[in-house]
Amino acid sequence: MSEPQFIKVRYKLTDQIAREGGMTAGMATERAARELSAEEEKARQAVRVTIGKLETLCREKTASMDAVYDLSTEVLDVAGLYDDRPLSEAAYALCELADRLRTQGRTDWSSVNVCTEAMKVIWATTTPTGGQIKSVLEGLWALVDYIKMPEREEPEA
Amino acid sequence: MSGFGLPPDIRMNLERSVVLLVDDNPQALDLLAAMFRGFGVHRQVKSTSAADAQNVVKSRELDLIIIDTSMPGMSGYDFVRWLRREAPADARFTPAIMLTGHAARATVESSRDCGANFILAKPFTPEVLLQRIYWVAKDERQIVSCDSYVGPDRRFKNMGPPLGKKGRRKDDLSGKVGLAKEPNMVQDEIDMLMRPSRVNL
Repeated sequence: MSEPQFIKVRYKLTDQIAREGGMTAGMATERAARELSAEEEKARQAVRVTIGKLETLCREKTASMDAVYDLSTEVLDVAGLYDDRPLSEAAYALCELADRLRTQGRTDWSSVNVCTEAMKVIWATTTPTGGQIKSVLEGLWALVDYIKMPEREEPEA
Repeated sequence: MSGFGLPPDIRMNLERSVVLLVDDNPQALDLLAAMFRGFGVHRQVKSTSAADAQNVVKSRELDLIIIDTSMPGMSGYDFVRWLRREAPADARFTPAIMLTGHAARATVESSRDCGANFILAKPFTPEVLLQRIYWVAKDERQIVSCDSYVGPDRRFKNMGPPLGKKGRRKDDLSGKVGLAKEPNMVQDEIDMLMRPSRVNL
């Protein structure tokens, strides 16, 4: 194995952010939040379309778990940029479920459907109470954890 | 604001920075671009694939790369690994922040060793992303280059080499441990330190 080299670098970014002008961090984050708000309706519709695609997969039951995983990451990608924690967590649970299933070479459309419906409910709920959402998310994680459990051995007849 | 937050009165100027945004999800890419417009970044380059991003790196001078980890074909991890090892020399150490949604089992090892400056888990707020950009700009870590890893030194604090090992860095402290200056802790004290406790986040 070769000796590690340690290289001193100075990023251009370091000099740029220190230049005169610019704005305060508070102002920048407020402006970014405003820009995101302007895109919110379009983003919500995109999430709804993706959830619709997942619903179709659940009805047809022919797709691979890779396809489920890809669609659930799409929801997480968008919800995550809005810091929408309940929807992100539900999408994360579906990612985890699909990842566990594909790792074991299995499919379980009932579980995928439960996660998809939960995402739909969370997406549509404009004023959720903390308790309701918490219960839904706990239920999803219980479902995901169930997939991790090893197969029970059937007792010999 | 939390203790680790970015003080809101800190001034930052990103007007002249050229930022490459890479995400295969066009909606997420538009949202990232909106966020960076808010930060005052006028010069943005958007790519929907790592392969396209490679071409951008070869043809333009960039100040920062924001890239999604999970993409079809070449992943964000593979892109950053390519950037650190095979990109044109003047672009090789361009700071890169990775955005990750879910870490699939197959990618866990890649994420550890790819050489990104920071990996930011979704969901996050614009404030947290801006904080990471600020950290990158203030990052004084050296780049480590060896067979298995090229990227910022992952040791944020130089604690010296592991016990009994000779240090490999010039500024590594001696690994020799002197005599204890305080009595050993009793088991109850150790148990108290290890005891799980509830925290409010």
